[in-house]
Amino acid sequence: MLRFIASRLARAALTIAMVVTFAFIVLRLSGDPAQIIMGADAPPEAVDAFRTAWGLDEPIWVQYFSYFWAILQGDLGRSMRDGRDAIVLVTERIPATLALTLPALAIKICLGIPAGIYAALHRNSLADRVVMIIAVAGFTVPSFVLGLLLVLLFAVQLGWLPSGGQESWRHGILPVITLGLGGAAVLARFTRSAMLEVLGQPFIRTASAKGVPWHAVVTGHALPNAAIPTVTIIGFMVGSLIAGAVVVESVFSWPGVGRLLVVAVANRDLAVVQCILLLVAITMVCANLIVDLLYGLLDPRLRAAPGKAA
Amino acid sequence: MMRRRHVLKAPAALLAAPLSAPALAQADTRPVISIAVQEITTSNMLEMMAEQSNVGSRIFRNFVEPLIDTDWIGDMSLQPGLATSWRRISDSVVEFSLRRDVRFHNGDAFTAEDVVFSFGPDRMWGGGPLGKEPPPGATQIARRSFPGFERMEVVDSHTVRFINKTPDLTLEGQMARTASVIANPRAFAAARSWQDWARRPIGTGPYMVTEFNPDRILVLDAFDGHWAGRPPIRRLRFVEIPEVSSRINALLSGEVDFACDIPPDQIATIERNPRFEVAGGIINNTRITVFDKTHAVLSNPLIRRALTHSIDRQAIIDALWGGRVNVPRGLNWEYYADMFIGEHEAPRFDLSEARRLLREANYRGEPIPYRALNNYYTNQTATAQILVEGWRAAGLNVQLQMQENWGQITARTPTRAIRDWSQTASLPDPVAQIVPNWGRNGVAWNNGEWRNDEFATLGDFLQSSVDRAARRQAWARMLQIVEREDPGYTVLHRNGNFTAKRRDIRWKAGPSFVMDFRASNWGT
Repeated sequence: MLRFIASRLARAALTIAMVVTFAFIVLRLSGDPAQIIMGADAPPEAVDAFRTAWGLDEPIWVQYFSYFWAILQGDLGRSMRDGRDAIVLVTERIPATLALTLPALAIKICLGIPAGIYAALHRNSLADRVVMIIAVAGFTVPSFVLGLLLVLLFAVQLGWLPSGGQESWRHGILPVITLGLGGAAVLARFTRSAMLEVLGQPFIRTASAKGVPWHAVVTGHALPNAAIPTVTIIGFMVGSLIAGAVVVESVFSWPGVGRLLVVAVANRDLAVVQCILLLVAITMVCANLIVDLLYGLLDPRLRAAPGKAA
Repeated sequence: MMRRRHVLKAPAALLAAPLSAPALAQADTRPVISIAVQEITTSNMLEMMAEQSNVGSRIFRNFVEPLIDTDWIGDMSLQPGLATSWRRISDSVVEFSLRRDVRFHNGDAFTAEDVVFSFGPDRMWGGGPLGKEPPPGATQIARRSFPGFERMEVVDSHTVRFINKTPDLTLEGQMARTASVIANPRAFAAARSWQDWARRPIGTGPYMVTEFNPDRILVLDAFDGHWAGRPPIRRLRFVEIPEVSSRINALLSGEVDFACDIPPDQIATIERNPRFEVAGGIINNTRITVFDKTHAVLSNPLIRRALTHSIDRQAIIDALWGGRVNVPRGLNWEYYADMFIGEHEAPRFDLSEARRLLREANYRGEPIPYRALNNYYTNQTATAQILVEGWRAAGLNVQLQMQENWGQITARTPTRAIRDWSQTASLPDPVAQIVPNWGRNGVAWNNGEWRNDEFATLGDFLQSSVDRAARRQAWARMLQIVEREDPGYTVLHRNGNFTAKRRDIRWKAGPSFVMDFRASNWGT
């Protein structure tokens, strides 16, 4: 088990290093931050002064190693827009984003998984079709369309809820529902498929033939075996907790990490973008690591052959 | 200076005390007003030395003030601000008499020393004694806003002189610019850095900054000690809502009282609701299309002239702006007064003339790249598509290339040929607009897009001459060069700015981006 964890940790570190490198190179290839921040009308000497002040006049490999060395020392750089520490700018937005994504994750799990199980257990019934129509709709309607529809109905027409902002818990209801419904639809589809596949397996028929009660067959044999693809999807959702609400935050003017990322990318605020990407990569890698470990718990065969887990 | 200031503070506080009790009693009756804006600032700062954008110009007048104000709601004429009067001592010196009843938001009395500080090295030029270095962008703005500045000179506690290195007819106009607002030296000294100060500036305006969360909200509370009297609004909230549909929804659901930057095609939808209306119209900004004369194809002025004649400007205005803006007579404003060249016109829409010019230039359909941002300007993308179709009709092979940011737009590569821009007339003389952008060492000169020696020489003359007739003649010739003979740009239309608001609020939008919430522009 220790070897299994060590190999996963090494792979995680490599993934994070690659993300950092990729972000560093791509950001520097896609526009000169000095020109963007100083503006189109900045004279060359002012742009040069900016480049010197931020070390952008160094060769790119020097910048890269300086950046990497700073990261190892815990320094994620400063915003080129207003000089504040990037990590401060990002961490002060994280609570706002988690205030949306955590309740939305709960909705996804509490709504999506039971709906998928119910639809699978009532395959081809009216209930199955209704659940799947709703799930397909939730899966295909983009979040910005769903968000605007909810705003038009509950904020503009009915006046029950605010349309945007982050001033009270009521402001969070519509964005949480927007985020939650789409994810619940995805989970419902995957859970149904996984359950149907497991329910068609010989060991389910064997358990039924041996006289095991149906609810025990479902909870004791079908659900654990169907959990692996569902856990994988939930792992992705957990990995998206920090920056998985970019569109919804824009539609609802929610001041979270997603909106910060949009603004930082548009302005090529390198340190801020890199800081967010680093945190997202770490979250995603940790979520995947936990999912890998859960695979081992859910399926003893994977513990025996950990290299085949993922 | 600091010691004297504290001595002045005590009697000021005593004088204010009897006034403040009834003032506080009435405070609750004033409304809290929320304004949905696309963006609060582009720089994440509230110091106008760093924030020179259109969105920044919307907010500044509420918390800081210059010596010379502008009639933003009326004819944009210069008005007394923190100076009650001013007079020319010479062609390069202006003397200002300062208001005596002005206090900063922190209670400090306003004196000539504050003007000297505001134009000094700590805030503007760098290398000041407080050691808080302004960012490179701020010093650049200072140089551009006050190109001949030599020093501020204190005559007495309420008289100050602006001394320029060279004769300049536009010194008064320069003093009305956003960069000319007066800052509080004590608060500046107390800030940890220039940037910290810039996030919480202390000025003399009718409202004071109480909360600024960049990309989210700016809260301004009424400053009841303002020299013009109590402001009419208890609290102003500028809330950042980037999406236009979300801004409109916030207005219609009653969460905000104003929604800014409304596209013209949404005006009818909003006004269908009797509780709301849309204010605004033409502002002091012109949309232009810029040509890079170093591009292999555009180096021939005949092709640039063909481009200018293939634009159906009125069609753009009718189709995208509902006829609410107009075609200007070049970058040439009526409010330039005697410098307005009435006989100058934008190139007429004439496809046959464009085709003739292309034949004369022996143009054979070589591709001409056109870099544009996605609706940085209202209707920008649709305008670009109309332009490309017009050019295609004339036989020009212009290829639209959507870009993500300004760095990509202005990147100096062989594919830079046509791009979008806008120009603001910041004071009533062409020198403020044309020379920094198109003259020697101006924007186009520096980034290598367009240079013309005759034009540059005339620009130098325009900047330093005080002979009005000769200046007018020079300006007319400059327009002819840059817009007709050797086009550096061509005008498209005057820009419009539309603000949706509650119909029961009496508030006027001026011919600029500035939003005025003083008592003179407020009623319910």
